[in-house]
Amino acid sequence: MNKLGIIMGVIVIVIIAGVAASLSVSPSETVNLDMGRTHGTISTAMGSPILGDPLAPITIVEFGDYQCEMCYRWFHTSKPQIVENYIETGKANLVFIDLAFLGRDSSKAAQATYCAEDQEQYWAFHDMLYNSQEHVDNGWANSERLKAFAFSLELDMELFDSCLDSGKYSKRVDYNIQQAKKHDVNSTPTFIVVGNNQEKQISGAQPFSVFKQILDTMV
Amino acid sequence: MTSAINLVFSNSKYLLLSTVIFSSMLVGLLILSEYVFINPYVVSHIPSGTEFGFVLIVVISALSALVLPMNIFRINTLKKSKQKMGGGVFGSVVGAAAGACSCGQIGFAVISTFGSVGATVTAFLTNYEIPIRMIAVGILAVTYFTTVKSLKTECAFDPDL
Repeated sequence: MNKLGIIMGVIVIVIIAGVAASLSVSPSETVNLDMGRTHGTISTAMGSPILGDPLAPITIVEFGDYQCEMCYRWFHTSKPQIVENYIETGKANLVFIDLAFLGRDSSKAAQATYCAEDQEQYWAFHDMLYNSQEHVDNGWANSERLKAFAFSLELDMELFDSCLDSGKYSKRVDYNIQQAKKHDVNSTPTFIVVGNNQEKQISGAQPFSVFKQILDTMV
Repeated sequence: MTSAINLVFSNSKYLLLSTVIFSSMLVGLLILSEYVFINPYVVSHIPSGTEFGFVLIVVISALSALVLPMNIFRINTLKKSKQKMGGGVFGSVVGAAAGACSCGQIGFAVISTFGSVGATVTAFLTNYEIPIRMIAVGILAVTYFTTVKSLKTECAFDPDL
C-alpha cells in the first residue's frame, strides 16, 4: 500500500510539473498565424504582419533579404515615400516575405524578426535591421548582434534568446523562401503589387516614381 | 599618346568596335547595378550616396572601349603577341564582375548553383564592389599606357607602316 502510494504520488507530481511547465510558457510565445492569409496568388501566411490598413485595396508584397544592399537602398529611398503617400493614407498596405539567400546570417536575421513579432515588435526590429546593415556576413547580423538589437528594443531577452537559439522560426523562413521561388522571384528586393484583380511585379530597388505609376492605376 | 589613339581609331572598324564595347558595357553594368531599370518602365535612378559607383562604371566602360580595340589593333595590324591583351580583358571582366554579383538574378543563380562557395564569392564581390572597381580602373589604366607605349615603339620601328 505504501509502495503504491509512493508511485501514485510520483505520477501526480509528474503530471502537475508537466501542466505547470506548459502553463509557464508565456502567451507571447504562442504563434498566432492566419494560415489562410493570401494576397492574390501569394500565400503570405508565414510572412510579416501587415503594415498599414489590412483592408487597404492594394497590397505590396516585398520579397527581401536583410543583408541585401539593394533592399537597404530601397528601404531608405523609395519606401518612406510609399509609406507616407499610400500606406499611411490607407490606399495600400505592405507585407514582407523573406527571401533569405545572400549569406549564412540572412536566415538567422529573418528568424529574429519573427522572435520580435512574438513580442509585437516585428516592424521595429525589421527597421532596426535595415538601419544597421553592414557588409554581408561580416558579423553585423550574427546571433549576438541580433540579441543586442533585441536588447536595445527592450524586448524580453529570455523569450527572445530562447526563440532565436531554438530555431523556432527556421521553417517559417524556409516556407517564405519557397513561396518566393514558387512565384519566380529570383532577386531581392522584388515586389508583387496586388490589387484590383491584378498582380504586377517590380524587380529591384526601383524609384518611387515607378511604384506611384503602378499604384495609381490600381487605386 | 594622341597619335596612337588617332592611329587606331582613324580606322572606322575600330571606332565601331569601341562604340559597341562602351555602350554595351555601360548599359549592362548600369542595369546590373540598378542605376537603370527596363521593366516595367525604362527609368534611370542614381540614389544619393551611390554617385561614386556610377562614375566608376562610366570610367571602366570608357577605358575598356579604349584599351580593347587598341590591343586588337596591335594583334591584327602589327601581328604582335596576345599577351598584353590580357590586362585589358582582365580589367574589364573584374570591373564587370564586381557589380554583377549582388542581390540580383546573377547572384541568386550563382548561390543557388554553387551553395556556400557561391555565397562566399558573391559576398566578397558585393562587399568590396567599390575597391574591386577601383583596381579594375587601375589595371585598365596601366594597360592603356603600356599599349600606347608599345604602339609608339612598334610603329616607329616597323618600316612597313
